[in-house]
Amino acid sequence: MKVFVFDPLATDFSAVLRPPSLTHLLGTDQLGRDVAARLTAGGVTTLGLTVTTVLITALAGTVIGMLGHRLLIRVADLLAALPAVLIGLVAAAVLGPGLPSVLVAVCLTGWTPFARQAHHLTVRESGRDYVTAARSLGAGRTRVLARHILPNVAGALLAHLYLRFAGTLLTVSGLSFLGLGVQPPTPEWGAMVADGRAYLFTAPHLVLAPAVAVVLVATAATVAGRRLERR
Amino acid sequence: MLRRLLLLPPLLLAASVLVFALPRLTGADTVRTVLRARTASAVPDPAAEARVAAEFGLDGSWPEQYLRWLGAAARGDLGYSFVTRTPVAPQLGDALQVSALLAALALVLAAALGIPAGVYAARRPGGWLDRFVTGAGVAGVSVPEFVLAPVLVLLFAVHAGALPAIGWGSPSHVVLPVLTLAVYPAALAGQLVRAETIAVLGSPHVRTARAKGLTPHRVLWWHAARLSTTSVLALSGMFVSGLIGGSVVVEVVFGIPGLGRLLYDAVLAQDLPVVQAGVLAVVAIALVAGVLSEVAQRALDPVPE
Repeated sequence: MKVFVFDPLATDFSAVLRPPSLTHLLGTDQLGRDVAARLTAGGVTTLGLTVTTVLITALAGTVIGMLGHRLLIRVADLLAALPAVLIGLVAAAVLGPGLPSVLVAVCLTGWTPFARQAHHLTVRESGRDYVTAARSLGAGRTRVLARHILPNVAGALLAHLYLRFAGTLLTVSGLSFLGLGVQPPTPEWGAMVADGRAYLFTAPHLVLAPAVAVVLVATAATVAGRRLERR
Repeated sequence: MLRRLLLLPPLLLAASVLVFALPRLTGADTVRTVLRARTASAVPDPAAEARVAAEFGLDGSWPEQYLRWLGAAARGDLGYSFVTRTPVAPQLGDALQVSALLAALALVLAAALGIPAGVYAARRPGGWLDRFVTGAGVAGVSVPEFVLAPVLVLLFAVHAGALPAIGWGSPSHVVLPVLTLAVYPAALAGQLVRAETIAVLGSPHVRTARAKGLTPHRVLWWHAARLSTTSVLALSGMFVSGLIGGSVVVEVVFGIPGLGRLLYDAVLAQDLPVVQAGVLAVVAIALVAGVLSEVAQRALDPVPE
């Protein structure tokens, strides 16, 4: 496969803005870099960042949601109205645009949906007979939460994880699109869309390739999450 | 209900402390930066330093500076932009008007598309209309504004040549940005209304309404769909955050002089007074919207938690 032959950072000024061909499966960009190679490398950046941050926020959010006081959940409710892009802008103003800003933005905003979901599920399950039974047998709060409630809400939380994966992917690539995230020349899907916009009239494949990739992965995660939710 | 409103002032104050601390967190020496920009001298003279510190309100202790800054902000004085050296407040006011118009149009369009789609999809779950609406809903929340905007520009501005790709000022400039911004809230509203209406249609009071001999149309809209508004309000935080986040991208892509664009440009230019004012405005809007939606929710559905 040619995709892996090209270096995603290697420029070739004899072949700039080429449309897709057999040599360059998805064409080349304004610096003659192979778009397919950049899409692959960009996917590693984008999806790697997304997976890492989703797992961190899922863990933190679940713990806070299950153990946290109601007041903390109220705070989460209000924080949910603050978009990650705003936090990203503030982080970029303080730390400068780059990877740390994205991590701060996504981690600060990402835990709230998990906390709300985990809290909601825990409150719902706490009223069930099996929890009363476990309590009357002398199980402590931690044991009831970890051994009885958690296994029963894990499925719903997993479904939520998939939905949050889609949301986080859009946030991560959106911040990079705005130039607040991963900096060039590192390939990243959102940044690739932003770079390609200048050539929208002459070489639309520069925008369409990463755009299709983002939408496909986000849609797949959303559909998977919905399926799991319904079970 | 009043308790929730009482939550607002302390939250706003907390936000103002954070926003005040913002430039101090950057570690940048504002006085030096300004002096270097104005005089181009490497070793600034202490008298000039003191003058600039007084000009930007950076003299005295931090609590002193904070109170002075807050007092000025309360009087509508948000300081001067480092870049343009003009007052921030009028810039913010103009930008807010543009963004408010954009968001309001997008919300109206989203409600006009999303609510009927959700209600009619709920009428026959699993039917062809329901499957179409559900599919469109998934697509709507999965396509980000930064993808939608260039694709719409490609279709309507490049290929059809019917609408301008960038700019602000005439009604034709409004179409593509509002369309881009409305997709997410429309998809969200459609899904929420659908799920809630399906749930309500199975409830006893709807059966009673049917048994009374009301027309299906009246049952659907007056007895079932109306109740779904509370669930939409309950998640209004998602609408607000989606609209704010989306409008930053939309305003940057389409070159619209709104609040998102003002904030974005200020961040890139390290124009801290404008960043502070913009962040304070956005946080205030988000918090007020969140609390108001909760109050409205309680008023419509006074069931205790």
